[in-house]
Amino acid sequence: MSEHHAHGTEPSSIELLPIELLPIDTAQASSDFVDEWRNAAYNCYSSGHKFCREVCPVMQVTRNETWTPTAFHANVVAMDKGELDIADIAEDYVNCTQCGACELRCPNTLMLGDFYRFRTRTVDLVKAVRTLAVDTGIHQPQWKTWNELTDARSHEPVLGEQPVGQDSVREWADGLDIPIGGDDILFVDCEAAFYRTSVPRAVAQILQMAGHEFGLMQEQWCCGGPAAEMGYRDQAMRFARHNLDNWKASGAKRILVLDPHDYISFTEDYPKYFGAEFDLEIVLVLEVVAEYIRSGALTPRVAIEKTITYHDPCRLNKRKGVWKEPREILRSIPGLTFNDVDHVTQWSYCSGGGGGLAIEKPELTALISGARIKKASELSVDTLVSACPWSERPLSAAGEPENIDVVDIHEMLAESLGITVGGSRGAR
Amino acid sequence: MTAVLEASIVEQLVAAIAPVLGEANVLTSKTARYSRARVPAPFPVHRWAERVPDLVVLPGSTEEVAHVVRVANEFGVPIVPRDGGTGLTDGAVPERRGIVVDVKRMNLIHEIDLENRTATVGVGISMLKLNEVLAQHGLIYPDNPASYPCSLVGGRIGTSGWSLIGSRYGHSRDLVLSFDMVTPTGDIIFVGDGGGRKISKSSSGYQLKHLFMGHQGTLGIATTATLKLYPKAEAEFSAFWAFDDYDVAYKAVGALARAGIATFAGAVLFDEKKVEYLRRDDEAYIPQPESVKALVCSVGYGNSDEVAAGGRRMMRIARDLGARYMGDEISQGDWASRHDRYATPVHGRTLSGQVALMSWHCEDAAINYTDLPAVTREWHAIVEKLRRKHDVFDDWGMFAYTSSDTGVDYLTEIDIGIWEEKLDDTTWAAFVDAKREIAAVSLKYGGSISACHGSCREGEVDLVPQELGGGYDVMLAVKRALDPNNIMNPGKYGLDRAYDNEGDRR
Repeated sequence: MSEHHAHGTEPSSIELLPIELLPIDTAQASSDFVDEWRNAAYNCYSSGHKFCREVCPVMQVTRNETWTPTAFHANVVAMDKGELDIADIAEDYVNCTQCGACELRCPNTLMLGDFYRFRTRTVDLVKAVRTLAVDTGIHQPQWKTWNELTDARSHEPVLGEQPVGQDSVREWADGLDIPIGGDDILFVDCEAAFYRTSVPRAVAQILQMAGHEFGLMQEQWCCGGPAAEMGYRDQAMRFARHNLDNWKASGAKRILVLDPHDYISFTEDYPKYFGAEFDLEIVLVLEVVAEYIRSGALTPRVAIEKTITYHDPCRLNKRKGVWKEPREILRSIPGLTFNDVDHVTQWSYCSGGGGGLAIEKPELTALISGARIKKASELSVDTLVSACPWSERPLSAAGEPENIDVVDIHEMLAESLGITVGGSRGAR
Repeated sequence: MTAVLEASIVEQLVAAIAPVLGEANVLTSKTARYSRARVPAPFPVHRWAERVPDLVVLPGSTEEVAHVVRVANEFGVPIVPRDGGTGLTDGAVPERRGIVVDVKRMNLIHEIDLENRTATVGVGISMLKLNEVLAQHGLIYPDNPASYPCSLVGGRIGTSGWSLIGSRYGHSRDLVLSFDMVTPTGDIIFVGDGGGRKISKSSSGYQLKHLFMGHQGTLGIATTATLKLYPKAEAEFSAFWAFDDYDVAYKAVGALARAGIATFAGAVLFDEKKVEYLRRDDEAYIPQPESVKALVCSVGYGNSDEVAAGGRRMMRIARDLGARYMGDEISQGDWASRHDRYATPVHGRTLSGQVALMSWHCEDAAINYTDLPAVTREWHAIVEKLRRKHDVFDDWGMFAYTSSDTGVDYLTEIDIGIWEEKLDDTTWAAFVDAKREIAAVSLKYGGSISACHGSCREGEVDLVPQELGGGYDVMLAVKRALDPNNIMNPGKYGLDRAYDNEGDRR
């Protein structure tokens, strides 16, 4: 652990904590990058369908062809031919929420994914370009600050100037009597732990009601996923190492995850970092809860008289194929009028909150969340239910002028189970 | 190759355009320009830099487009409209660099007229997105190209697009009632029948709509269009039939198209090479017995009762000719995925059978029914000769699609896999020669060089004057009259010759 990760210590100035700049050879790194991505890039370039375009949340609001999955792949071909270099392209790759819609809509994925195991991987490409940029000293200003602060505090600065850190990471659980350690560890992402604390409180109390034993980590750090998404891979790996060591030290067997972004980190990034060493079971709370409802261990009984629609979080629906369970849960809640939109139509929906976009380009996030709320508004609903804490802040902001309340699915279920959730749906 | 504009000229252009469009909508970055240098039609990768524009602008209104065009005239700089950039004849490619006018921001739905069944839209909208909104009213704009998920209304006007279900609903020229457009001198004109946007047939004055559709951006930029809407079909009938030989399948597609079934929306004939191509790794066709040599697909749309009756008749016609119905799963699944499967790079094969990531090139023509077998044979022979000589090409087979409800003519296409990454000057020249030969076959049989894509590209473009006869001189005269400075998409359709080298100021 580097020395600035001491518990509860806020650095006096981030200037003291420069982001690591590796002494890296840009030409060699670029050449390695092109070698890795050449075939994937040509697979897109040579088909040229562009079917991804109208499902891309960024493209839908900017209409700028420079920021399309097709262009992102074509740039690699141009690098291969010596026409463009990483300095030319780095900034464009900010414009992606890593929602994965383009990968699903790609005919190459649809027609070839099963046969050749060669599905389109635009999200990984975007991450790779961002990593190459950071590794070669090209930083986006807001991302750089964000990751420096995360590195200093061991958590993302989700409360802005207000400190976040080890001394407060478990405050959301005050009064819930949750032990430390155990076979099952509930991991709470930074946004939920510090900003929307009602979500982890709802989750914890639902699990307690079902008799599911679980504990919290001894020392939880950020999952590292956002750093990985923004290209700060070394930092992401250091954070992952810490969390894995902490889990191993406490003898954890399963990690319960409430945040879709963490779910991606733990099921996709961590296995890549650690290989066979990463032998923990990763469990999505939503799926566990749906099973408790199926088995009768939990029965929502308090009627909620609201007209809702459900927002499929991108990382659940588009990247993990999880869309049935949330609907099952919502349909078990009495009193709701549920104006559902099918999960395939929602490939083109997004909150704009992912992939670091909200940090570097909040104005684009606002346009995307505004477009998403407009879709909800057309259904004459009073409430939009999501299952992703990172989506809930931008969606709430966009929903306010439209009088659409944004509620987390766990919050809503807890209410129907008669639980008084507590916590905050916004900054404390 | 056109030289890049001097930096000082680009700066002056930006200074003249940005105050009207906003700085954020004037793009000079390398990525902005490189990503608008291409369309899906293959081109040697090593020559990419030759066609990179100097500047990209993203106007938000007709007036902004007009401003950009006026600036381009003032500076004598080429201007190239770009809509979806999905075309296959390089219409949107800035062959002489200059300013690319990308209209994708102009994607608003201005009006849906439920009584007269029209929609007025910005041309930057895709049919898919428009139809998502129209579906709420039980309506559809049935312009359905292979690029349906991403092509835009403006590109359909600029190319005079062809629709897969055009035998039932007509093609772009039938479905677009009228549009505003900016001429090459920056004037804004209205094009269409009648003065009020929504007339489908008039006899008053010259019929200019056809002139201003399919010009590939050489006569101006459409900005706002009024479209004809239909009730969203209650029912869809789609059937795929297998045949033991091409000749019987050919008879069947003809019989289906000539049957006069009101809900008939199109029929497609897959030849032997196409079936062979789909067998390479397409799960739907691998399980089919080797005896399957050709396929026919036929579709119908409309009210449930009418579609059911029409479908029964189509089934009977096919069965009487010995067709084997391939089952609901393939019929519904293949038709539903029709937009996705027209090109799959890893289906490319070298002569030895090695997988190579190949681009898809589709050479199309309009051919009468009676000439389909001969054209099919001659085109395959041309591609076979090409691939024997240069092992970067592959024959992906042919389709023939009905263009109309009587079966008079077909969009005929041969799909050619091209290992674009390996294209060098020699193989490119060989490909251009092959395209010219393919076009010559179409003309020999009294067809058109293109039913769908246009005929701007190297090779076939040489034969356009032959196809049009004296009409080509009229094209030259019109171009000269409307675009005195030859700034509107110069280099396309050989129209430079309208200027005796005087008007081409670059």
